[in-house]
Amino acid sequence: MSDMPWVTISILLPLAAGALLLLFPARSSGMARGIALAAALATFVSTDVVVHQFARDGAGPQLIDRQDWVSSLGLEWLVWVDGISVWLLLLTSALFLLAIGVAALRAPDRGPAFLGLLLLAEAGLIGLFSAGNLVLFYVFWEAMLIPFYFLIGTWGEGDRLRNTTRFVIYTMVGSLVMLVGIVATAYTAKQTTGQFTFDIDALRGVAFTRTESIWLFAAFALAFAIKLPLWPFHGWMPGAYGSAPILVTGLLAAVMSKAGVYGFLRIGVPLFPEGAETFKYPIILLALTGIIYGSLVAWRQTTMRMVVAYSSLAHLGFIALAIMSFDNQAGQGAVLQMVNHGIVVAAAFVIVGILSSRTGHEEVDDIGGLANGAPWLAGLFLVVTMASLAIPGSNAFAGEFFILSGVFRQDWWVATIASIGIVYAAVYMLRLYQSSMNGPLRGGEPRKVELTWADAAVLVPLIGAMAVLALWPAAIIGGTTRTVERTMAPAQLATPGFPQDLIKGSVTRNPPAEALPLPGDPDPAVPEVQQSQEPTP
Amino acid sequence: MSLGAALNPIIVAATACLALLAGLIGPRTFRRVGPTWIGLAGLVASVVVSVLWWGNRVEALDGAYRADQFTHLFNIIFAVCAAAALIYGIRESAAVDRRGEFVTLVLSSTAGMMLVAGAGDLITLFLGIEILSVALYVLCALEVWRERSLEAGLKYLIVGAVGSSIFLYGLALLFGATGTVNLTEIGDKLMVASFTDEPLLLAASALIIVGLGFKASAAPFHMWTPDVYEGAPTSVTAFMATATKAAAFAAFLRIYAGVLFDMVGEWQLAIAVVAAASVIVGNLAALVQTNLKRLLAFSSVAQAGYLLIGVAAGTIQGGEAVLYYLMAYAAMTLAAFSLVIIREREVEDGDELSALAGYGRARPVVGVIATLAMLSLAGFPPLAGFIGKFMLFGAAVEQDLTWLAVIGAVGSVVSLGYYLRVLRVMWFGDPGTQGPSRLLPMPAPVLGIGALGAVAVVAFGIAASPLVDVAREAATALLAG
Repeated sequence: MSDMPWVTISILLPLAAGALLLLFPARSSGMARGIALAAALATFVSTDVVVHQFARDGAGPQLIDRQDWVSSLGLEWLVWVDGISVWLLLLTSALFLLAIGVAALRAPDRGPAFLGLLLLAEAGLIGLFSAGNLVLFYVFWEAMLIPFYFLIGTWGEGDRLRNTTRFVIYTMVGSLVMLVGIVATAYTAKQTTGQFTFDIDALRGVAFTRTESIWLFAAFALAFAIKLPLWPFHGWMPGAYGSAPILVTGLLAAVMSKAGVYGFLRIGVPLFPEGAETFKYPIILLALTGIIYGSLVAWRQTTMRMVVAYSSLAHLGFIALAIMSFDNQAGQGAVLQMVNHGIVVAAAFVIVGILSSRTGHEEVDDIGGLANGAPWLAGLFLVVTMASLAIPGSNAFAGEFFILSGVFRQDWWVATIASIGIVYAAVYMLRLYQSSMNGPLRGGEPRKVELTWADAAVLVPLIGAMAVLALWPAAIIGGTTRTVERTMAPAQLATPGFPQDLIKGSVTRNPPAEALPLPGDPDPAVPEVQQSQEPTP
Repeated sequence: MSLGAALNPIIVAATACLALLAGLIGPRTFRRVGPTWIGLAGLVASVVVSVLWWGNRVEALDGAYRADQFTHLFNIIFAVCAAAALIYGIRESAAVDRRGEFVTLVLSSTAGMMLVAGAGDLITLFLGIEILSVALYVLCALEVWRERSLEAGLKYLIVGAVGSSIFLYGLALLFGATGTVNLTEIGDKLMVASFTDEPLLLAASALIIVGLGFKASAAPFHMWTPDVYEGAPTSVTAFMATATKAAAFAAFLRIYAGVLFDMVGEWQLAIAVVAAASVIVGNLAALVQTNLKRLLAFSSVAQAGYLLIGVAAGTIQGGEAVLYYLMAYAAMTLAAFSLVIIREREVEDGDELSALAGYGRARPVVGVIATLAMLSLAGFPPLAGFIGKFMLFGAAVEQDLTWLAVIGAVGSVVSLGYYLRVLRVMWFGDPGTQGPSRLLPMPAPVLGIGALGAVAVVAFGIAASPLVDVAREAATALLAG
């Protein structure tokens, strides 16, 4: 059992099942549903095994699977997990299991292709979160775009073609610059270390010059900022979130939005510490703007789904500024909050989905007073609302507390401004709850809205997970300590005046500092000369 | 001095003569089937010879033809593409009554390409280019009763002749500057004397780029491509898109990476600009096409641009990348054309995108073949097209042509716009009333070639290492003594 490549299996299982389902004729949907559910369940089990085998006190990569691909080009299949990615793997497989369950059981009009594309998106995300090689990271980054493109473009509503196109163009612009950054990273690192590699862990600690580090960080940061989305790079978000089928919107907000923050944590901060240090305050300012802007816009949205969508813009701003504070505690809070936010937003979208499909209204103001006939729904909605605004005792409270206290000890003013976002969250989430559940009854038959057993089967696991993380955040926090320390250490060392007692991790320079020439040393071996072309005799 | 080294073109040319005879004599059924079988046998023999004789340079005809790893690799590519074209043409209406001519023309064109790849002097090079072109002029116009086909033939003849003459002028200036037609000797001359900024050589170099640009359909010399690709019989189009382009790049590499590499500073920018123009023009124009053959034509312009990026690098890495990409490109293009050929037989205007609505669901196997081909053309990992582009752009970055790599990468992103459109129409399009309702039994040989191409696209990508090694060996042979 233990020597099986479980990380690889977690990627290939949904990939193979998804590809298979795309070939199914549209009418044989019964069997397709069975296959999709079985594959999603097996993937979930597989990621559970990964979590089980994961050593919680480990700092570096674990469960490494490495296969040569084209070794002369530095291409290889290299996947692993660490204390950051392992939780995202679990989150992804769990949420996709629920989503595929919903799609398979509740929406018979969604054929095998829909389920297949969902599985492909799952494979892309799990691959992204476990990629240990920059090229592989890029591959999955692009790969997950295609299923989402088809999911929104085919089953979406409204002006879906324009919105998907904008979504694709925004993302592509970012990922393209990132691709150039990836190639440039490898070539620049080769000049310093003599090795040509895309291995993320091997590139950690490479002594880039300050200028190189800044440019390379910028190339990656643009892609991450667009994906996050960080204000003002969120232009694609309203359209894509608005036109996608609500199930897909939920997945975009709950899982795909984590790709951007994950990129900062996995690549931006540890690989290019000087660059990250240079862009620290600009990004923090953008994140703060995003928190306030997202909250204000969420408050004024007319449709329920967009309230939740913009709330997630604000929440992701929190996570981004936690990472850019370079504080260990805030970083751990960021990992916890990624999971928390995924669960809470997924639950919120489930409820919005129930409300809009049963009442036929998407607008916040068109429905109201439903609590009277639907007490169960109202109760669970209230729980989700409270979690979303991070009331003490909820799971999000633990995450935000970690983040705010960590950020506070670095920059008190950042934490102060950010906490305004929590106040706003109360405004827009309570408005959503109150106007739909309380007040005079309008726009729907409360009894029709009440939870069915099938709804409960989706919501209860999510609420259960919230309860577990609310009572026992250490389940995740405890497993992230060493990894976050190791991830943040390069940036902490690169920040002038960072409190020494808060630096827990260490960095091995590559090449080691003593191998670097000191001023006055004879000129070291010139980097390998380009192949010389011998004359043809 | 022996003819033995030139066995590949000799076999193919002799087979061409046999096929012509076979198309004229014997019972009616033999006249219809015989030439194809004879042609295929000759091509298989040529591949076998190339594999068996794989090795260092052997010269024939006093150095006018050289068989080295580079030649052999190209000979294999040409033979495979020609065989695919013969099989694609198996139900081609134009070829039914003129089987002998069809096979003969394809084979003589192939023999010309082999001369280009193995050219040891400027004369062989030009002869090869002319033989391959003249045969193609006729092939394009093979459907004499169809106006479009005649138009294609005439257009290709005029533009091709202009290209050939410019190319010849360039070769003449190269001869004038160095005083010899032998490629090796030209290389030696350039080595000892400094020809930097020598106007004759600069002009020669520019004219050769233009002439070969016509043959490779690189922008801005691509204007014939969409019309000819659309008008020519589809099996011929598939042959032109793969083999002819490979031949043009064989000439590019022989001249620029093999002989003029010392003057890389003089011509690098010119080729880089043509490459950038091809990537931009091809990808943008393809975005608005509604006919699949025209779309593939503009896509082939863009692909020529990517390949030129490797030529512009002017290094062994560049040559290696071009060689690998040509193999990948042949596989994915042949796979893509199998879709057109199968659909074209079923409905009139089967090459229109709208005729493909919902076709993937009706024909999953064809759908998967075309999907793999399109994704690979777009450079989607881990397929062959991705590895190829990765190598091409890497070679450019290594030579400080980062801007060119960026343009190539931007172009690949834009190309997703039209490749994915084909897939969307095919899988999710609404067939409407006259959509894929009319389905004929699929021609097994065509489907077989398409499937082989699709398998190759996956295999070349996942197990790329051995292929990259072969490409490197062949590229190194360019500079071997």
